Amino acid sequence: MTSVMHEDGPRGAAGMKRNGNASMRRLIAEGAKGPIGLVAALVVLIVVFSFLNPRFASIENLQNVLFQVSVPLILVVGATLVIQMGSIDLSVEGIMGAAGMAWILLSPNTRTMIDLGMWAWLIALGLGLSLGLMTGVIYAKLKVPSFVVSLGTWYVGLGIAILLYGNNSLPSLTSDALARWPTGLTLGLPHSFWLAAGVLLFGLLISNYTNLGRGLMAIGNNEPIARTSGMPVNVYKIGAFAIAGLLGGLAGILATMQLGSGSTDIGFGQLFVGIPAAVIGGTALGGGEGGMTRSALGVFLLIILNNGLVLAGVDPDYQSGVFGLILLIAIIAVAWPERGRLKVAK
Amino acid sequence: MTTLTTKLAGPTRRAFGAAAVAAAMIASLGASGAAAQSVEHPEGFNPDEWVIVASVINTTNPYMISNIEGAEAISEALGIPLEIVNSNNSSQTSISSIYAILASGKKPIMFVNTVASSDAPTIVEAVKQAGGYVTIWWNKPDEYKPQNVGDNFVAFQKHTGVDSGRCGAQALAEALSGEGNVILLPGVQDSTTSKTRVAGFKAEIAENYPGITILEERPSNWDPQLGGRNARDLIVKYGDQIDGVWSADDGMQIGAMQSFENAGLLDQVKFASDGLYPKTLEDIISGRGNNAIVGETFHRGYMASAIGLYTAYLAASGQIVPSELEDNKRESFFKLSCVTPANYEQYLQYDAEGAPAEFVSRLIENGPWDTEPVPLVGGGVEVLPES
Repeated sequence: MTSVMHEDGPRGAAGMKRNGNASMRRLIAEGAKGPIGLVAALVVLIVVFSFLNPRFASIENLQNVLFQVSVPLILVVGATLVIQMGSIDLSVEGIMGAAGMAWILLSPNTRTMIDLGMWAWLIALGLGLSLGLMTGVIYAKLKVPSFVVSLGTWYVGLGIAILLYGNNSLPSLTSDALARWPTGLTLGLPHSFWLAAGVLLFGLLISNYTNLGRGLMAIGNNEPIARTSGMPVNVYKIGAFAIAGLLGGLAGILATMQLGSGSTDIGFGQLFVGIPAAVIGGTALGGGEGGMTRSALGVFLLIILNNGLVLAGVDPDYQSGVFGLILLIAIIAVAWPERGRLKVAK
Repeated sequence: MTTLTTKLAGPTRRAFGAAAVAAAMIASLGASGAAAQSVEHPEGFNPDEWVIVASVINTTNPYMISNIEGAEAISEALGIPLEIVNSNNSSQTSISSIYAILASGKKPIMFVNTVASSDAPTIVEAVKQAGGYVTIWWNKPDEYKPQNVGDNFVAFQKHTGVDSGRCGAQALAEALSGEGNVILLPGVQDSTTSKTRVAGFKAEIAENYPGITILEERPSNWDPQLGGRNARDLIVKYGDQIDGVWSADDGMQIGAMQSFENAGLLDQVKFASDGLYPKTLEDIISGRGNNAIVGETFHRGYMASAIGLYTAYLAASGQIVPSELEDNKRESFFKLSCVTPANYEQYLQYDAEGAPAEFVSRLIENGPWDTEPVPLVGGGVEVLPES
C-alpha cells in the first residue's frame, strides 16, 4: 500500500528485480520516472528557447508564463484527483462558463448594477461545487460512466452560462482593482499564479495526507479491493468530482478576471490542456498512478512550449505541427525508461 | 415472474418518466408560436405550410445571438413560426438537426450561417428535396454556385472580408500617421472569413502605407483568451516596438486590449478590428486607453439573417424567381461600413431597443438589396488581392 500511496506512484518494481547492469538502468529509470525526467525535458526546452530568443529567459516572460499557467494549473489539480481514481471529468469548460458568468454578473460590471462582493465568489464557487457534486452523485450512485455524466454536466454548465448571459451585451468588469488583481505582483510573481500555487498545495495535501487522496489512488488501482476493505468508495468518488467542480468554478472566475469580461466560452480549449497535462505528467488514464507535482509540470511543459514557439518566431503555418512534434519527442524521452510498465499500451 | 416483471418495469417506468419529462421540456422550448403578422402574403401562398429556419454556428457568440434576433423579427413580421438550429460548432450537428426539421413535413424558408464551407451542398440538397428555399451566409465552396443548383438555393450572401481588412488597415495606418509597427491577430487560420480579412489588411498596407511594418501575425481562433495570450507573448517579444494591433474580430481584440492594459502599454498602442461589438462601442465612447480603438467595421448579425430569410421568403412565395435574377443577387456582397471614433454615433441607432424589428420593416418596404445601412454593393466570388 505504501507504494500506492506515494505521490509518484509505485516505485520499487522496475529497479529492484533486475541484476547485472541493473543498477545503472535503475538509476535512469528512477530518475525519469519521477519528476526529474519531466524537469529535464523542461530545462532542455528553456535552454533551447532562450538561445533562440534571449527575451524568453527574461523576468517579464517568466511573469507572463506564470500568468498563463495559472488557470490550467488550478484545473489540473481537480483533473488529477479524478483521473487517479480511473475516471474522467469532461465538464470543466461548462463549469468555468457558468461560474465565470455568475461571478461577473454579481461583481461590479457594465451589465448589472449588482456588487455582492464576497457573496459573488461564494455563489459562483457554490455553482461549480454543485455541478461537480451532481456529476459525482450520478456517477457514483447511478453507476453511469463518468465520461458520459461529465459530458452532460459540461452542457448543463454551458446552458446555465447562456441563460445568465441572455441576449444582452458582454459584461465587463468595472472595478479596476478586480481587473488588475491577476497581473498584480507579490514578491515578483503574479497574483493569479500565487492563487494557483495555493490550489496546487491544497491538491498536494489532499493527495498525500488525507484518506480521500489515498482512497482515490486505491480506487484507481483496484476498486473491488478498495470496496471490500471497507473504504467509503462512493463518498470518495463524489468528493473528487466535487473538488474538481469547485476548482473549475475558481478557474472560471480567474479566467474572467484575466480577460476583464465575461464570456460563456471562457473555458474554451481548457479541457485539452488539463487532461493532456495530467497524462503527460504520468497520471495514467487507467487510474492508480501519477501525482500533483507531475501534472503541474505537464501544464508548464505545454504552456512553455507554446510561449517559446511564439517567441522563437515559428511561422504560424508550422506552429501546430512543430508543437505536436516537440511534445511527442519530449513525452517519448520522459516515458522511454518505463515503457514496459505503462498501463495504456493499446 | 412477478419479481422479474417488477424488476423490468422499474427501470422501464423510470425511463418512460424521464423521456416524458424530456419530451415536455422540448415541447415547451420548441413552441415559439408566430406573433403579430405585418405582411400580406401573395395569393396562393399558405403560411401554414411553411416554417422559418435559422441555423447558427452556436448560441453563445454575440454575432450568432444577433442572427437569431433577426430571424425572430422576420418570423414575427411574416407570421410564420421559427425554428432555430444550434450547430454547436459542429457541421454534423448542423446537418442532422436540419434533417430533423425537414422531416417534420413543413417546407423550410431557411437561413444558414454555415459552420464550414463544405456543409453548403449537403444542406442545400436536403432543402431542395423538401421543397424549401435556402440562403447561405458567409461560407460556401467558391465553385458551388446558386445559379448552377436551381431556384431552391436562392442566394449566397456575405460582407466582403477584403473590405473589412482594408477598413482596419486604413484606420490604423492613418492613426499612426503612416509610420509604425503592427501585429495581426487573425481568426481560425483556414477560415475564409479570416483569410479574406487578412488579405485585405495586407493589401491596403502594401499599396498605400509603405511606412507600416507588419511585425508578426498570430492566428487566435476567434478566441478572446487566445488573443490575449498571443498578445502577451508578442508584448514580451517586441515590447514597446508595437504601435498598432489589428484583430480579425472584436472578440480577439477584447483579449488583446486587456493584455496591453495589463502591461501598461494601452495608452501607446492603437487598435482596429471588425464587428463593432457593444463592448467595443463602449470603449470608443469612453475613449479607453487614450482613444486606443481607431477603426472598426459595422455590420450586424440580425441584418444578415433578416436579409437572407426575406430573400428566401420572396422566392418561396413566388415574388421573385431566383433563376431570373442578376448574378450579383445570387452571389451577393452587402455593404460594410468603416467606423471610426469620428462617425460611430450614426451607428448607435442600430443597437437601440427594437432595432431588428425596425430594420425588418424597412427591409420589407425596400426589398433585400436596397436597405440601409447594408445595401447590395456587388457580387461574385471574392478575389483575394495580391500583397
